[in-house]
Amino acid sequence: MKRNPLILVFIGAVVAAMLFAGIHIARKNRVAAAPGQLIGQTAPDFELQSLEGKTVKLSDFRGKAVLLNFWATYCGPCKIEMPWFVEMQKEFGPQGFQIIGVAMDDASTEDIAKFAKEMGVNYPILLGKESVGDSYGGVGVLPTTFFVDRGGRITAREFGLQSRSVFVDNIKRALGQGQAVQARR
Amino acid sequence: MRPTLAIGLLLLSASFYGQEGLGPKGPVVKMAPAPLLTVRRGKSATEPLSFRVSSGYHINSNRPKSEFLIPTTLKVDATTDIVIGKTTYPDGQDMSFPFAPDEKLNVYTGDFEVDVLVRPLRDVQVGKYVVRGILKYQACDHAACYPPKQLPVTFDVKIVKGAPAPGKNPAQSPHAHR
Repeated sequence: MKRNPLILVFIGAVVAAMLFAGIHIARKNRVAAAPGQLIGQTAPDFELQSLEGKTVKLSDFRGKAVLLNFWATYCGPCKIEMPWFVEMQKEFGPQGFQIIGVAMDDASTEDIAKFAKEMGVNYPILLGKESVGDSYGGVGVLPTTFFVDRGGRITAREFGLQSRSVFVDNIKRALGQGQAVQARR
Repeated sequence: MRPTLAIGLLLLSASFYGQEGLGPKGPVVKMAPAPLLTVRRGKSATEPLSFRVSSGYHINSNRPKSEFLIPTTLKVDATTDIVIGKTTYPDGQDMSFPFAPDEKLNVYTGDFEVDVLVRPLRDVQVGKYVVRGILKYQACDHAACYPPKQLPVTFDVKIVKGAPAPGKNPAQSPHAHR
């Protein structure tokens, strides 16, 4: 059974090119991690301005379980969650829990502050940047919420409006897993 | 060789997986092909632009009920020889959604039409012109919202001879024709 060596070389080159392209694209995708791939990873640190003009880093909250909520003033579902978050901050705050809101819209700082005041927000609101959203896999859906344990690892993420119980379960898990992580250290 | 090729193909295709489906796959709003607008020099005509909002989504109307909501707007630019007049938006529907059952939002769903008044000046050169614009909208579904988007809009205007401009030389338009 004779084979034309040129055909074999051609097939080999095609396979090699496909493997190279596949590996290259897979690597590229890893760099721009999808939110699901971030679970179990250290939450990307960031530095953003608060409504009060203070510079706030995520790493400032290391040791606490964090609910990181990307939202916008134009987002109706986000508006539903905010009163829940106010209550959850009160309920779980004493256990070492902190909610951080990151406003991802183009509204002015004054408008965001007005909105937050109307909602009675009792947790820091930071002025979001696309680069921060990108480091979390791109925030193409609002609300998007990440749960971070005391060790700074992402334990869960939720897209869109979820039931209150989903948030409570994730907060408890972030608090619990954080303790477990600390206990191992 | 076939198994090797299959493995290569799988590896290539697998690299596209793992990315979760975040939000709409394509644009939430699409524009239907715009009809050619034929208009006489110095006269006005209306170009109806038809848009469709994908099923399951809504966008704010041009007059949403909250200052925090982003209205749908169309911005049209044309050559200086063609005046873009009033843009007429349809009334939105008052609808409530699971995320705010007690609140009525004024939205567009399904098909909607935006009318643009076009008036070529009397001395514009006859011919076909392309008018371009941007539809800005912000979409949500029943449980999430998506960042504001811009949809490019184009339509053709064919300008034909109208009543001659009194006492004027038919000027050559400085603008390029298609």
